[in-house]
Amino acid sequence: MRKNSLLRGLVGAALLFGATISAHAADTLAAVKAAGTLKVGTETAFAPFDFIDAGKHVGLNVDLFDEIGKELGVKIEWVTLPWDGVFPALEAGKFDVVAGPATITKKRMERYRFTPPLAEATIAILKKAGDKTINKPEDIAGKKIGVGKATAQLDQLKEFSETLPTKADIREYPAFTESYADLAAGRIAGVANSLPNIAFVAKQREGTFEVVLPPFGKKSYFGFIGLKDADHAPLMDAIDAAMLKIKADGRMATLQKKWFGASFDTPDAVKDPAF
Amino acid sequence: MSIELFGLLVQASIYTVTISFVSIFIGFAIAILISGMLLTGRSLFVRPAQFFISFFRGVPLLVQLLLIYNLLPAVGLNVPSIVAAIIGLSLCTAAYQAENLRGGFASVPLGLVESAEMVGLTPRQIFRRIKVPIALRLTFPALVNEAILILKASSLVSVVGIVELTRMAQDLAGSTFLPLQIFAAAGLIYLVINWVVALAGGLIESRLPGVAR
Amino acid sequence: MTFDINVLIGQWPAILSGAGVTIMIWILGTIAAAVIGFLMAVARQYGGMVVDKILGAVVAVLRGTPFLIQIFLVYYGGPFVGLELDPVPAGLIGISIYGAAYFSEIFRSGFRAVPKGHIEAGECVGLTRGQIIRRILLPEMTMLVLPPCVNMTVILMKETAVLSIITVPELTATLSAIGSQQYAFVEALSALALFYWVLVEVTGWLGNLAETKLSRFRFFNA
Repeated sequence: MRKNSLLRGLVGAALLFGATISAHAADTLAAVKAAGTLKVGTETAFAPFDFIDAGKHVGLNVDLFDEIGKELGVKIEWVTLPWDGVFPALEAGKFDVVAGPATITKKRMERYRFTPPLAEATIAILKKAGDKTINKPEDIAGKKIGVGKATAQLDQLKEFSETLPTKADIREYPAFTESYADLAAGRIAGVANSLPNIAFVAKQREGTFEVVLPPFGKKSYFGFIGLKDADHAPLMDAIDAAMLKIKADGRMATLQKKWFGASFDTPDAVKDPAF
Repeated sequence: MSIELFGLLVQASIYTVTISFVSIFIGFAIAILISGMLLTGRSLFVRPAQFFISFFRGVPLLVQLLLIYNLLPAVGLNVPSIVAAIIGLSLCTAAYQAENLRGGFASVPLGLVESAEMVGLTPRQIFRRIKVPIALRLTFPALVNEAILILKASSLVSVVGIVELTRMAQDLAGSTFLPLQIFAAAGLIYLVINWVVALAGGLIESRLPGVAR
Repeated sequence: MTFDINVLIGQWPAILSGAGVTIMIWILGTIAAAVIGFLMAVARQYGGMVVDKILGAVVAVLRGTPFLIQIFLVYYGGPFVGLELDPVPAGLIGISIYGAAYFSEIFRSGFRAVPKGHIEAGECVGLTRGQIIRRILLPEMTMLVLPPCVNMTVILMKETAVLSIITVPELTATLSAIGSQQYAFVEALSALALFYWVLVEVTGWLGNLAETKLSRFRFFNA
């Protein structure tokens, strides 16, 4: 009798698994349209693109994907993960596309496919307001600078730090949100992140932070990320087309003004990233 | 801190409680299966059961969750966040509960079993009508303990994408820059939940049919 | 699905460093937790009712809230009460305090399990408090508390993985970072699971060894 119930238990478990396995459609676009939902993975700790404001998920990504959803005729479902878990999960098929956004880099382009860029990503330093010791990027030499784990900003910061007489003391955070909190608390002297992000945070917390100009990173752009394989090509093509349409009719510029205070002129595609 | 923020924390704690309790019950079912396999005494069943217990007690829950979410798709099992969270918690608690059950079965007074044999009950009847109820009664406190442990362990499921109490606290602390108040409030909510569970556990235990010792 | 172990082998200095941090925090944290826990247990046993109640409340809070929340409070909340800690010290303190609460309960039940008669016999013969603790209480307690202590040691080892969330450069953080950067998630996660599993098995085995070696202090057939 024990063996019977063991067998029954195993069959039951197998059925349960079968019910939850997502069907592996050959064409992701078709699957998304059939399901009526586009699954987007993101971090929700990257203001102003994607962040939590008093419990609500808001940001440029949310607004932009709402528009993309309208173009594709699907609803958007958000999946929130820590940033260093986003790419493994994309490859594991947990969602169809990644918001982020992520900086378009050569290394990433080898493995993933980027949508048309939606903003500039050139990095600069955010410091505590009134801090007279940092007036230009080179002043971060020897100081504690915070940056997010597994980000392109981290790589760029490391590169820049190597060129300085004393290297900066680089602190990696699970997300930029925590680094801003530590900056406000005075634990670190600065945060290295892309200009649109730190400009937003400085504005949001008037009087707490200040941006250090000029940006010191190589010129780069932000894009959304998807997989490169043939299955995902129709979906990525559709998203690309939707984004270009949103750019052409001015909706992109409106959103950029809403979240950055100004609109960016971005190329339609980045074929040859600076790094 | 505002009522609004506290309300958000309480809302998120509903995920915490739901996921935890579903996992505890599924885990219990799996634990019965596993301890059943151990009790057969046959290598075919005992070895895999021991492997299961060893693995799920030996690897940190955080790593188990990451494995289930990111690695299973490679063998064809692609599960959504909430399922991954429940599977992870269930398997982890199952391993510990199987150990508890094993101890429970071992503690069944031999005298009771012998008298049952003398009265003429078959081994199957003895198992069903004497060993199981007594073992369950003995391991109930450990089960309540496990429930509390799982409620606390659920704080990790944000790595597979669930916005439960701890993750909500992180988000709020990040947007309000008030980590002390927010995390203290979250801690308070956990304390209250665990205290209620311990209380309920004590009440249920006092009403279970006792074992004459 | 490809499995390329060479990706990890190439990164062995970083992996070794991560493993080192894990083991260092684990061992130091466990020892600190055991010591603090023991002192707390002694204080609760002999320190009078007020001390007992206060420490009891502290222990209840530490055992009733998730470790992650405690770590966040120490690391992110600390600066607001003047305590600015780097990740590693914060992690050590977190592990020590969390573990101390559990160890104190283990030792407390150990104290109570030693038959009062033995203590009274010692008092009759004229031993001081300290001598009683050293020559009667501790040896008899050892056998009783050893299995739960080994268990707690294993639990604390697994909790060190949680410290990766506050950027302590221990093994989980290190291998996840390597996995992300080299796009070798499968290899990294598998290696991670294997490492912990082996460590836990070894610890359990050492615990069993200690139990058999110290069984001469057993005074009843438990």
